[in-house]
Amino acid sequence: MVAVRLLKVTKRFKDVVAVDKVTIDIRHGEFFTFLGPSGCGKTTTLRLIAGLEYPDQGRIFFNNEDVTELPPYRRNTGMVFQNYALWPHMTVFDNIAYGLKIRGLPKKEIRDRVYGVLELIKLKGLEHRYPTQLSGGQQQRVALARALVIEPQVLLLDEPLSNLDAKLRIEMREEIKRLQRQLGITTIYVTHDQEEAMVISDRIAVMNEGKVMQVGTPEELYRRPKNLFVATFLGRCTVIEGVIRGATPDGYVILVSEEGALKLKGTPPSSDIKLKEGERAVAIMRPQDFSLEEPKKPFNVIEGVIDWLSFVGPYVELRVNYHGKRFLINVPSDFKIAGKRRFKAFIPCDATVIFPLRGGIEEAA
Amino acid sequence: MKEADRLTTSIKILKREFDKLTTIQLIVTFSISLLFLLIPIFSILYKAFMYGGSFSLAHFGELLHNPLMIRVPPSLRVVEFIERYKFVTLENGSRLLVPLKTLYIGGSGPDFGYILNSLFVSSIVTLSTSLIGLITAFIMARYDFPLKNAFRVLLIIPLLATPFVNAYVIGKVLGPGGLLNFVLRDLLRLTDYTIVIVGLPAVILVQTLSYFPIVYLNILASLINVDPSMEEQAENMGAHGLRLFRTITLPLIKPGLASGATLVFIFSLEDLGAPIGLSGAFGDGLHNRLMSFYVYDEFKRALTLEQVHASAYVISVIMLVIASIAFLAIKKYVSLRQYAMLSKGGRWSVRVRRLGAKGIALAYSFLIPVILIAAFPQMGVVTLALTNWATSGVFPTRFTVEWMSSLVTKADVVTSIKNSLIYSGLAILMIVAVGTSAAYIAARRNIPGRDLVDLLVTIPIAIPGIIVAVGYLAFFGSTFSNTLMDPFINPGLLLIFSYSVRRLPFTTRTVFAGLQQTHVSLEEAAMNLGASRSRMFFTITVPLLATNIIGGALLSFVYSMSEVSTSVILGSRNPSQGPITFLMSQVIYASAAVGTVSIAAALGVLLMTLQIIAITLSNYLLKQRVAFLGI
Repeated sequence: MVAVRLLKVTKRFKDVVAVDKVTIDIRHGEFFTFLGPSGCGKTTTLRLIAGLEYPDQGRIFFNNEDVTELPPYRRNTGMVFQNYALWPHMTVFDNIAYGLKIRGLPKKEIRDRVYGVLELIKLKGLEHRYPTQLSGGQQQRVALARALVIEPQVLLLDEPLSNLDAKLRIEMREEIKRLQRQLGITTIYVTHDQEEAMVISDRIAVMNEGKVMQVGTPEELYRRPKNLFVATFLGRCTVIEGVIRGATPDGYVILVSEEGALKLKGTPPSSDIKLKEGERAVAIMRPQDFSLEEPKKPFNVIEGVIDWLSFVGPYVELRVNYHGKRFLINVPSDFKIAGKRRFKAFIPCDATVIFPLRGGIEEAA
Repeated sequence: MKEADRLTTSIKILKREFDKLTTIQLIVTFSISLLFLLIPIFSILYKAFMYGGSFSLAHFGELLHNPLMIRVPPSLRVVEFIERYKFVTLENGSRLLVPLKTLYIGGSGPDFGYILNSLFVSSIVTLSTSLIGLITAFIMARYDFPLKNAFRVLLIIPLLATPFVNAYVIGKVLGPGGLLNFVLRDLLRLTDYTIVIVGLPAVILVQTLSYFPIVYLNILASLINVDPSMEEQAENMGAHGLRLFRTITLPLIKPGLASGATLVFIFSLEDLGAPIGLSGAFGDGLHNRLMSFYVYDEFKRALTLEQVHASAYVISVIMLVIASIAFLAIKKYVSLRQYAMLSKGGRWSVRVRRLGAKGIALAYSFLIPVILIAAFPQMGVVTLALTNWATSGVFPTRFTVEWMSSLVTKADVVTSIKNSLIYSGLAILMIVAVGTSAAYIAARRNIPGRDLVDLLVTIPIAIPGIIVAVGYLAFFGSTFSNTLMDPFINPGLLLIFSYSVRRLPFTTRTVFAGLQQTHVSLEEAAMNLGASRSRMFFTITVPLLATNIIGGALLSFVYSMSEVSTSVILGSRNPSQGPITFLMSQVIYASAAVGTVSIAAALGVLLMTLQIIAITLSNYLLKQRVAFLGI
C-alpha cells in the first residue's frame, strides 16, 4: 500500500494554468476523490499522478519515493480511463492479461490471475469476447479488471461512470467501493458529480480553476464549507453577505447584512478560521436544516412571505422573502399554506456557517 | 546556480521525452529527409548560384536574356491557315493541282519562351480545372439524378495514370488523320480544312483533362463536409441561389478549392507526360518548349555530369521557387493535411436535391461531355493496347493480343516491370517505416522538432519530381561518384529512395488520419500497465492502425509504380535499370517514327489495372467514401 503526496504541483498548458500549486496528502488505502466542474484541473492532476503528464513545478511522491520524473510505465499505477480505453483488437482475456505479459509472468500465473480477477469482477465466461461485443457496464468492469490485475500501488479512476446510464451508475459506484474496501488499495477518483463523490469517498478535494478549494470528508465539506465555491458546489444553500458585528456570549459570531436589517448568529467552519470585527463575510444555510418548531439549541428565526412553493416529492421547497433576501427552505411534504402567506422557520446557529467573503483556499491539507 | 538548475531540468526533460522509440523515429525521419531530399535540393542551389567558383547570379542573368527562355516579343500567332497545293496524278495521266488546307492551332504560338510558357500553361490549366472541377463537384454533391453512382466512378477514370500514352492518344485523335478531322471534315463535311492542334494549346488540353478530377475530388470532400445548417441558416435569413453560393458555400469550400488548385498548378508545372507524349504524336514542337521538358532533355543528352549545362540547374531552381510560392500561398487555408487524403465525408446527411427533368438534362449535358472527353485518353490507351489502332488510321480494324502478351515475352518490357516492382516494393518498406514514425511523432509527441517532422514528410508533394531527380544527379553524381549510389552507373538504387521520399505523404497522411481517429487513451492505458513506449507502439498502435498503414502503403505502392519524373530522368542514365514509366517514355518518344506505341499502351493498361485494384482495396480498408488521389 502506498501514500501519495503532491507538493506544490503546477502544470501549465500554454497560457492556461491547469493545476496551480496543489499540495495534497493521500493516505494509505484511502478512497480519495478530486471533485470539481469541467476544466478545474482534476483530470490533469490524476494524469500527473499516473505520469501521463509531467508537472512544470512541484514534486510527486509515492510513499517516500520521488516519482515526479518517472515515466508512466515505471509507476505501477492502474488507471481506468473515462472511455475505458479497451483495445478493440484484443479479447477481454488479452486486454486484462496485457499488463501481466509486460511483467513477464509465466503463462500459468497469468491465466490464474486473469480468471481470478474475472471472478472478482463478475465477468467469468466473457473472456473470449471482444470489447465491442460487451455492454457499457461490462466494458467498464473489464477496464477495472485490467487495472486491478497488475496489483497496482494506486488505482486511478478518471470519471469511470460518466458513460453509464443513471441506474447502472449507482450500481457500479457501490461495486467500486466494495472492491476498494475488499482490496484495501489506495484509490484516487475523479468526478464532476458531487453526489457520486459524497457517496464513494473517504475524503474529497474540491477543485476550481486549478486550485484545491478545500479537502475533507464528505460531511465536513457539506456541513462546514470554508468558502462560497465549496458551499454552492456541494448542494444548494441560502447565501447572505454581510459584515461581522460582535459575538454572542455563548461564542457565536454575528453577521449583519449590508442594509443592517438582517442579523444572523453563526459559527465559522473550523476553529482555525477567525472572524474579525467589521470583516466582510458570508453566511450559508442548507435548506433542510430549517425547521418549523423551535430547536433546543440556539437558533436564528426567519420570518417572511412565501414567494414560491414547489412540491418536490420527499419535501416541499419554499422560497421565503425575509428583509429583501430570499431564503431557500425545505419543509415536510405535507406542508400546506394556511391562509396568508406569512411563514416562520428556525435554523440552529450551529448550522449557520459563516466564513470570510474571500474564503480560505487551502494551501496545505 | 539558477542557470545550472534550469539546464539540468532541460536535460532531464529531454532525456525523459526522447525515449528509445522517439529517438529512433526522429533519426530515421530526419536522416532520410536530409540525405534524399534536402541535401540534393541544396546541391541544385549550389550549382545554380556558383559561377567560376564564387556565388553569383550570372547563370540567372544569362538565362533571362536568352530569347529561348523568355521570348521578347512573344509569338501570339495561335491560329494559322495554311493552304498548300499539291499535284495529284489522275487515271488518265493528267496532273491536277489540289489545295491542301490546314487550320493549324498552336503550331507557331503562343510562345513566350520556356520559362513563361510553363507559367502560362500551369496558370491556364489551374483555372480551367478549377472551373470544371467546381461545377462537377457542385452537381455531384448537391443534386441527385439517375445514374449518379455511375458518374461518380467514371469521374475517377481520368485520374488513372497512363503517363505519355494519354497525351499520345489525344495527339492521335486531334492529328491530321485523327478522329476529330474524320468527323468534322469527312463525315459531317463542316469544313474542308484539316484541323491540327499542337503546341501549348494541346498541352493545356491534355493536362486539363487529366487533372480536373483533383480539384473535383477536393471540392467534393469540402462540400460534403459543410454542415448543412450553415446554408440552412443563410436561407432562413433570405439568401438563396447565387448569393447563397457566393457568401456562404464558396467561402466554406475555399480550402478544398485552394488545395486542389495548387496541386494542379504544381503537377502541371512538373509534368513530363504531356510534352513527351505529344512529341511522340507530332514530333518536336512548341508542346515541349516547357521548363520541365528542358531539364529532362538537358540531362538526357548529357553523358556525364560535367556535360550538364548550368541552365538546367537554374531552371530547376526557378521551378522550385514557383512551386514553393504556390505552396506558401495556400498555407493559410490548409495545413496541406487534406491534400492526399480526403476526409470520410460528413457525419450529417448532405443537402441533396432531386433534380427535375430540366435539371437532369442540364446536369447530363455538362457531365456526359466532360466524362466522355476526359476519359477518352484512358479508353484510347486500352484500345491501343488491344488492337492495331496504332497503325490502322482513324479506327482500329482488328483485335490483337500481341501487345498485351509482350508484357511477359518481350525482354526489355519484362525487365522494366521487374525493376518497377523491386523499386516500389523496397520503397514501400522504407515508406512504411518512415511514414508511420513521422505520423506518430506528428500526431502524438509534443516534443521540439515535431513541426519540422510534419513539414518534412508533407513537403515532397509540393516539390516537383524533376527537382528531386536533378538533385540526385547533382549530389550523388558528384559526392558518390563511382559508387553504388552513383546515378550514372546505378540509378536503380536511387530510384528506390526517390520513390520513398516522393510517395511518403500518402502513407504518412493515412496513418496520421488513423491516429487522429484513435483515442490516445488506448496508448496511455498500455503505458500505464507498464509497457514502454516502444513496446506499446508495436503491440497497440501498430495493430490498431494496421488498416491505415496497409491502405496508405498500397497507395504509395501504385503511385510509385506510375511515378514519372525521377523514373524518366534517372532511368535514362542506365536503361537496363529503367522502370516501367521510363520504358514508356522511350517507346512513345520514338514512336512518331517507329510506331511501337502499343507496347507502352499495354504497360499503361497494366498500371491502370494495378491502380484500380489498389484504390479499391485501400478504399475498402480505410472505409473511404471518396477515392484517393495521387499522381
